[in-house]
Amino acid sequence: MTIDEREICRYLRLQGRAPGEALEERIKAMREAALKAIRPARVWRRFDDPFVAGGADSETLRKHLAECHAAYLVCTTIGAEFDTLQRRTAATSPADAFVLQAIGAAAIEEWTDETEREIRRELKEGETLVSRYSPGYGDWPLEAQRRLFELLDAPRKVGVSLTDSLLMVPSKSVSAIIGVKTEVSQ
Amino acid sequence: MTNGIFRKGRLVFLDGGMGTQLQERGLKPGETPELWNLSRPDDIRAVHSAYLAAGADIVYANTFGANAAKYHADAPLADVVSAGVALAREAVHAAGGKRFVALDVGPTGRLLKPAGDFEFDAAYDAFAEEVRLGAEAGADLVVIETMGDAYELKAAVLAAKENSSLPVLATVALGEDGKLLTGADVECVAAILEGLHVDALGLNCGFGPDKMLPFVKRLAAVTSLPIAVKPNAGLPKVEGGKTIFTVEPDEFAADVIELVKAGASIVGGCCGTTPAHIRKVVESLGEWGTGERGNSSFTHSRTVVCSGSRVVEISTDDTIIIGERINPTGKKKLKAALSEGDVAYVLREAVSQAEAGAHVLDVNVGVPGLDEPTLLDSTIQAVQSVTALPLQIDTSDPKALERALRHYNGKALVNSVNGKEESMSAVLPLVAKYGGAVVALTLDENGIPPTAEGRLAIAKRILARGAEYGLKPSDFVVDVLCLAVSADANSANVILEALRRVRDELGCCTCLGVSNISFGLPARPLLNASFYTMALGAGLSAGIVNPLAADMMTAYRAYRALIGKDRTCGEWIDSFKDWTADSRQPLAASRQSPVAGRQSETDSPDSLSAAIRHGLKADAAAAARQELARGVVPIDIIDAEIVPALEIVGRGFESGSVFLPQLLMAAEAAGAAFDVVRAALPQRDGASVRGPIVVATVKGDIHDIGKNICRALLENYGFKVIDLGRDVPPERIVETARREKARLIGLSALMTTTVCFMEETVKLVHENLPDCKVTVGGAVLTADYAAKIGADHYSKDAMGLVRYAETMFPAKMV
Repeated sequence: MTIDEREICRYLRLQGRAPGEALEERIKAMREAALKAIRPARVWRRFDDPFVAGGADSETLRKHLAECHAAYLVCTTIGAEFDTLQRRTAATSPADAFVLQAIGAAAIEEWTDETEREIRRELKEGETLVSRYSPGYGDWPLEAQRRLFELLDAPRKVGVSLTDSLLMVPSKSVSAIIGVKTEVSQ
Repeated sequence: MTNGIFRKGRLVFLDGGMGTQLQERGLKPGETPELWNLSRPDDIRAVHSAYLAAGADIVYANTFGANAAKYHADAPLADVVSAGVALAREAVHAAGGKRFVALDVGPTGRLLKPAGDFEFDAAYDAFAEEVRLGAEAGADLVVIETMGDAYELKAAVLAAKENSSLPVLATVALGEDGKLLTGADVECVAAILEGLHVDALGLNCGFGPDKMLPFVKRLAAVTSLPIAVKPNAGLPKVEGGKTIFTVEPDEFAADVIELVKAGASIVGGCCGTTPAHIRKVVESLGEWGTGERGNSSFTHSRTVVCSGSRVVEISTDDTIIIGERINPTGKKKLKAALSEGDVAYVLREAVSQAEAGAHVLDVNVGVPGLDEPTLLDSTIQAVQSVTALPLQIDTSDPKALERALRHYNGKALVNSVNGKEESMSAVLPLVAKYGGAVVALTLDENGIPPTAEGRLAIAKRILARGAEYGLKPSDFVVDVLCLAVSADANSANVILEALRRVRDELGCCTCLGVSNISFGLPARPLLNASFYTMALGAGLSAGIVNPLAADMMTAYRAYRALIGKDRTCGEWIDSFKDWTADSRQPLAASRQSPVAGRQSETDSPDSLSAAIRHGLKADAAAAARQELARGVVPIDIIDAEIVPALEIVGRGFESGSVFLPQLLMAAEAAGAAFDVVRAALPQRDGASVRGPIVVATVKGDIHDIGKNICRALLENYGFKVIDLGRDVPPERIVETARREKARLIGLSALMTTTVCFMEETVKLVHENLPDCKVTVGGAVLTADYAAKIGADHYSKDAMGLVRYAETMFPAKMV
């Protein structure tokens, strides 16, 4: 899996500036360590009902999926070992830990984009996807995670679980709904 | 106890997939399969009957998800479990013959601490309830399956063993890389399960039987227990939005034969397999014995310990390093850290020893006046959250030992048992119950025998006593005890003789706290390293040493290179490739930082300041050392260089010209320089340090990166910080602040869902500690919100917290 350095710098909040030599060295070292710890996994499933995971009463989700006739639920992760690496690094170097979390953020984003491209490949003729939407966005409550996780069997399929406060663990994971609509030819 | 279920000389056939069969019959995604035990009993019974007709000896009741952590449907859990077992029983009755019903125990669907937030004990309770219900309902055995985390697996097995007398079969689901989700490989799983005395172990789900083959071979090489396999009908594929499995019965059965040849003797199928698959397997294998391996003569004689993801073998013909640094005896700073609850300090000790090359870490928290059972338990869990190394649980308190062994993730090394009756009767049953290897100290009621003969005799006695509890000689690591050569000139000779004889006469592994040898003498590191080399030559299996001591690591690496254990001398070369005749401490130097080696800068007059501003840790430390060598007064180095350099970076951050990563790197570089200079300062008591400040990520929240950044900056600005970690309950924060007389508490929360706990904590602090201020920060917080939840201050970033702390503690640094 590739992790784009520009993306890493974006998550480091460098506001477009060059990282400089010392930071670049750290990024390189941390990226190497991260690549050894990352174990990407993903699961998705198509449903004919875009509101299969609830949200019909969420104004923002309803608007988001307004033209959709189906939806994919998706869950992606870069795995639990990355979190272990993150904790280990934090014990000795907050700077390295900060760089590492930026790498993790870039990695899960890249992996989820990759997954979305894979999903696009199985769309029917004339279909297209709307953008990803996750529980907790807009007025779609975070509680929707529970149903989404049940429908995907996410703990078993990809090893992602919910905590009591509905956070995902491993921490670098994404869950989302991606609506399917009919492509309008221009 | 095994009811003859896994009897020798015969294969045992399990059933095939349940979930996929129910999906065929209309089970919808997200629907709770166990509810069908009540709503569609005929379907469940029919699936069982089909497998029995196909030749299965054991059917798994439809109870896979019937634990309280996972099961949330309306019907009572007890009804679902008892109906599930009863339906399987009815099918078995109808089929006739000697068939069995297994209670099927699957994972909770929650990730245990430290990877997640679920407590080990909560997982145990959920499994225990299911096991009790299943046993009451009349199950013949407990099957634990599809486990993806070694720690959860341990909770399930303990629950099964402690809440029923039924035989236990435990199988795990490997990923394609041969590991569980949390990193354990088959060797690790086998070590844990053997230690917990399951009746059979193996693999299920994950992939098809062809891909299972190499892992079954590896299992067969490390376990004497019967091996079970329940592969999928190949890898799942998605077609038209549906998951399908494509391996047909003929191919499946042909591959399963290979698994049996490799050592499996209990066979069935998981997802995607059907009665046709099982029928084919039974037809192809029905007349077989148990394969070449059988259940027979494998003698298990390796000494193995592990964490939840790494196995370490202790052997008589190689040697490992047990890191000794997490032991407060004679260590003021560690003692203080343990008393204050400063977890971060202990974690740094753990990680630095692991990075220096230790294979196992000793953990001892015996400080008079502290609650050892609680502290040992929490310290071990914290250390396991940052390192994959197996731990040596070091305590003389059996209560502390049992609690730590129970919650330890993996199979631990126990330090220690000795020849006293009291010790043996307390420690040995615990090792036998939870699994582990145990250090046997060769002393008894009469003290330490002066001769090797005498120490050997005690070792034999402990081994014999262990046998009464089912422990094998390979479960022991004998410590022949290291006494100071300054007190007894013959001490080293006796130790070396004893090491040789334990290895040769008992066939046992040995360990030794090497550095005791030099007690009372000058230049201890030099003597220690020489004696360590001699002990290695006498067959020492595990040296309990300080892995940060370069001389010891050199002795270790030299020994392994010289006896041919370091093939092609790769490790030696890696460690010393940059060595020159005048590098006195090659290990320490090469390990300091990934960005070392910019020597030119250290020559310029403002080098220390530059090194800090550029965030070069190793250079900053080197520059500080140089200045000291040049005769600069320590306090001047701090006041004239370190503090101003950090200030420049701090102001740069506040004005937006320096970004957070650079700020942190500068802080680390300053910290490295501080450490060098502080070591040169006369010893002072803690009074001159500013603080203490207690920091924590609030309950429910596991995102601690922001909190860690704050801690690092505060420390490098000269504040004493007590870091309580993440997911910290309000009560603990208040209790710590009270005990340590902290006037400032910093709280962090990242999620909207956890800010409520922040509010609760602030409230509790203000109720109990009116003089204590609370500052809060985190991604979702604003100044307004901070005020709303009653915080005294809002830190918009880490520098903001530093500035606020400076107003509260306006003292000078150091």
